[in-house]
Amino acid sequence: MIQARGITRTYQTHGSFTGDRTVRALRGVDFTLPDGGAVSFIGESGCGKTTLGKILTGLETFDGGELVVDGVELSKLRPRQREKYFRRIQMIHQDPYSALNPTRTVEATLGDPLRMRAREKAAAGEQAGSWRERAAELLTLVGLEPTAVLPKYPHQLSGGQRQRVVIARALTVDPTVLIADEAVSMIDVSMRLGILSLLRDLRARLGISLVFITHDVATARYVGDGGELHVIYRGEVVERGLTDEVILSPVHPYTQCLLSAVPVMRGLEEPGPDRTAPTAALDERTPTPGCLFQPRCPFAGAQCAEKHPVLVPFGLDAAGQGEAAAAEDGSGHVHACFYPESRRVVGVEVGAASA
Amino acid sequence: MSEVEVRDLTVEYQTSVGWLPAVAGASLDLRAGQITGLVGESGSGKSTLALSLLNAVPAPGRIAGGTIEVAGVGDLTRLGGKQLRKARGGAIGYVFQASQNSLNPLKTIGRQLLDLGRSHEVGDLRALIARAKDLANRMGLDGDRVLDSYQHELSGGMRQRVGIVFALVLNAKVLILDEPTTALDMLSQASVLDIVRKVHDENQLSTLIITHDIGAISEIADRLAVMYGGRIVEDGPLLDVLRRPTHPYTKALIGATARITGDVDGARALPGRPPDLTTVARAGCVFRDRCPFAVEVCAQTEPELETFESGRRRACHVEPSTVLTGPVLTGTTGTPAAVGEPA
Amino acid sequence: MAATATLAASVRSRRPALTAFRKAVTRKPGRIIGLAIIVFFVLLAICGPWFYGRLAVDPNSLYAAPSAKHWLGTDFAGSDVLQEVVTGARYVLATAALSALFTSLFGVTIGLVAGYQRGLTDSALMRLTDFVLTIPGLPLLIILSTVWNFGSPWKMGLILGVTGWGGVARAVRSQALSLRERGFLEAARGLGLSRRHILLKEMLPNVAPYAAMQLMLSMIAFIGAEVGLFFLGLVPFSSTNWGVMLNQAVFSGGAMETPSALIYLLAPLVCILVLTLGIVLFLDAIDELFNPRLRERV
Ligand SMILES: Nc1ncnc2c1ncn2[C@@H]1O[C@H](COP(=O)(O)OP(=O)(O)OP(=O)(O)O)[C@@H](O)[C@H]1O
Ligand SMILES: Nc1ncnc2c1ncn2[C@@H]1O[C@H](COP(=O)(O)OP(=O)(O)O)[C@@H](O)[C@H]1O
Ligand code: SF4
Ligand code: SF4
Ligand SMILES: [Mg+2]
Ligand SMILES: [Mg+2]
Repeated sequence: MIQARGITRTYQTHGSFTGDRTVRALRGVDFTLPDGGAVSFIGESGCGKTTLGKILTGLETFDGGELVVDGVELSKLRPRQREKYFRRIQMIHQDPYSALNPTRTVEATLGDPLRMRAREKAAAGEQAGSWRERAAELLTLVGLEPTAVLPKYPHQLSGGQRQRVVIARALTVDPTVLIADEAVSMIDVSMRLGILSLLRDLRARLGISLVFITHDVATARYVGDGGELHVIYRGEVVERGLTDEVILSPVHPYTQCLLSAVPVMRGLEEPGPDRTAPTAALDERTPTPGCLFQPRCPFAGAQCAEKHPVLVPFGLDAAGQGEAAAAEDGSGHVHACFYPESRRVVGVEVGAASA
Repeated sequence: MSEVEVRDLTVEYQTSVGWLPAVAGASLDLRAGQITGLVGESGSGKSTLALSLLNAVPAPGRIAGGTIEVAGVGDLTRLGGKQLRKARGGAIGYVFQASQNSLNPLKTIGRQLLDLGRSHEVGDLRALIARAKDLANRMGLDGDRVLDSYQHELSGGMRQRVGIVFALVLNAKVLILDEPTTALDMLSQASVLDIVRKVHDENQLSTLIITHDIGAISEIADRLAVMYGGRIVEDGPLLDVLRRPTHPYTKALIGATARITGDVDGARALPGRPPDLTTVARAGCVFRDRCPFAVEVCAQTEPELETFESGRRRACHVEPSTVLTGPVLTGTTGTPAAVGEPA
Repeated sequence: MAATATLAASVRSRRPALTAFRKAVTRKPGRIIGLAIIVFFVLLAICGPWFYGRLAVDPNSLYAAPSAKHWLGTDFAGSDVLQEVVTGARYVLATAALSALFTSLFGVTIGLVAGYQRGLTDSALMRLTDFVLTIPGLPLLIILSTVWNFGSPWKMGLILGVTGWGGVARAVRSQALSLRERGFLEAARGLGLSRRHILLKEMLPNVAPYAAMQLMLSMIAFIGAEVGLFFLGLVPFSSTNWGVMLNQAVFSGGAMETPSALIYLLAPLVCILVLTLGIVLFLDAIDELFNPRLRERV
């Protein structure tokens, strides 16, 4: 179980052309990942998704908020002690072409962490089988033929096969959480569903929980049931709810723009009736004291430029009146918008529309 | 009427085992005023086909046969030297795969534009710049700012648009885009596709878009051609092909696309991996080892690309109706490289 | 489970490194020539002096033209030129090899560690590198030559190596820095693999081609430097080598005026040029030796 509370990360950049700049990559992100559960994050490029993934795997530090793993607050631990917790959280990288060392065979890539793991197990007095057997087992688990794949170099594998090897490598240290950062966006569409169903399968079979990071909302549907979807914009979660609920009735204009951008399979689907688009491109340099999305929002109103909206349950107005679609503890469908309105923006299957 | 007519095009690359075809006997028309989408998995020969439309197959490749008739230019495979250079850019605008990275990092966009103009011996460079600015503005860019920018100052989506400006600034009537949205996020992809459609309509182009994402192309294309193992295996009007795919590969591709609505369990990844030059079948149908419909004859004779009803062609031995009503590829017929694919 | 065990065991066979080497070298004729030249000179350096036990001087034939007895003629003192070229090779090559050894040891280690650690370690190591890069090698050697004689290649190699690793360290560091951001290194850190493993097994093979390339290039520079030192007469002659020959040919033999000394001048020069050419030709193979993707092409 992972609980993140108000995670912030600010970068100071020193560009030779642009001068010094402060980039607020994350501005207080909360989420809860139950054991065996799944949470997804969607957002456009540069909105802080990878930063979040790196923080969760210990590859990047955070400068505010707290991260609680299995009840232990990580910021209270010394770096050495933290490692143990981060080890259980493994990352699957965005780019299967750089995620594997080009000079090492699959066997070497899996062998080293497996041998390390075997030594640790032996030291702890646990039963540790042969690492070769374990390598073969893991490759079979991720849907690869061990004999064919073990002696190969990364360039001899297809994008989908590489991504499977990357997943097998993450599994070598028996993690309880996988962070999939755009795990399928760089591989052929034809291979994507295979990887997604593998992730879903790992959840079901090994009880591994999953943080799924993507800009393609459609893929978030394929990683399994019961997942919450977090829509992240410029380092801030602007809408959250059950994946299907957010997709079918998004209330935040940014979510609506993201979902409208998903291509419609004409002939098989019809565009949603309320399809919309941002009114401008992302420009992080102009200050936005009010709603971060205000300069691009097609539905911006009077309050938006001055006040900063915070996450509230959908159905309640700013004064806390009305019928909430969210539970007391903050789970359920929440959004950060002054003028929330449910809109139908995603494509509808032809035939299903009339029914 | 067709702006570009490709007939029996064969393009070969030299490998350790001799010259092997990456495109084998492909025939394709780019109709005037229409957007044609060319889809297929990576390695199916899409880029090679597109590059040969510029007669610019990279070494160690060569056009080994066939003709490419471009309206107003003639058979491109016979052109060389100056005439060919004029055709590239002048008649056919090309936006390269990963064109985000194909700009010169050391020169501003404007200077690169001037270089382009000079190399095409454009007399009036002022007019060229004006036209580029106009194109950029119509694509939602700030023309003046973009021309003064270096590549690193632009986002991926902006660079893709700059690529389109370069392709069209010399008044090309044919526009070819290779994987224009592959590295972009959904919002940028949507706006680039939007812009392509708009520029296409405004300039009455004949456009070819290459992609592995059948979903993305279905937003804007008028016609769809499907490529596999160097062959065009099916083509026709887009809506019709999507509704009634008659080639098992087309059907599998559609079925493998993650969709935002509908049944999650209905979609299936393609098992196995697409062939490359050296592994593609020499005899019979190139798709047969992944095909759930394969029959005996598929191993012996290669199916011809034939018109089976008005405006539609396919290359398959099995009846269209059988494919239409039959199963989508299931994840169980994996090749040795990907057995045990979890359902 | 037994089945998977045998499966796993059966795939252990790897392509032997030797085959890979052979393939990379034989792919282009230039590489074969390059390797042949290098091997030739190495053999010359190792075995050459055995054939000419002692330096035979023939005072009766000064500046003799090439003949059956003296293939390349003789020098001003009547020594056989071929013999001098052969015996001189050992010193030149030994020095170059030693300095290359030091250079790679220091350069690669410091570059890798600096690039991987970043932060304070990086700054400290890079200041050191900058310092080494600014040490004027030639003057240092001249000064040192007043206390040391450079009769043994050891000292010369050591000095050249210790003052010459800066370039390699910089090249390796910049490679290491860009590698660090690659997914597979992040993964290795995330998996908790040791720093030793990351440096030696993940990073080293990836920087090796650049390091090797830099190394070969610095060897060319080292050969030039040492020969130059002797040629200019900046260090005392303590052995026979090509630099001394050049110096003698020009300053004592008057090769510039008398054509009879021309061969004496040309012999070491041609050797240096051919050896350099050999290294340059062989450089081409290096990328392929380390890069499995390039190696792959049959
Ligand atoms: N090391 C860094 N130094 C400075 N700024 C950084 C650094 N890493 C990330 N950023 C900035 O933080 C913001 C979030 O970046 P991040 O990589 O997390 O985005 P992302 O959502 O993963 O985007 P993408 O879809 O392109 O992968 C961006 O504005 C980025 O430029
Ligand atoms: N320069 C080249 N040399 C040899 N083979 C090549 C070269 N370029 C492409 N190929 C091969 O030709 C086939 C088609 O490649 P390509 O046209 O790039 O496909 P796509 O664009 O559909 O991904 C592939 O098998 C690829 O490996
Ligand atoms: S708060 Fe205003 S500007 Fe922000 S998303 Fe809602 S309507 Fe748009
Ligand atoms: S020809 Fe045969 S193998 Fe090829 S696609 Fe048709 S049914 Fe499948
Ligand atoms: Mg990212
Ligand atoms: Mg391509």
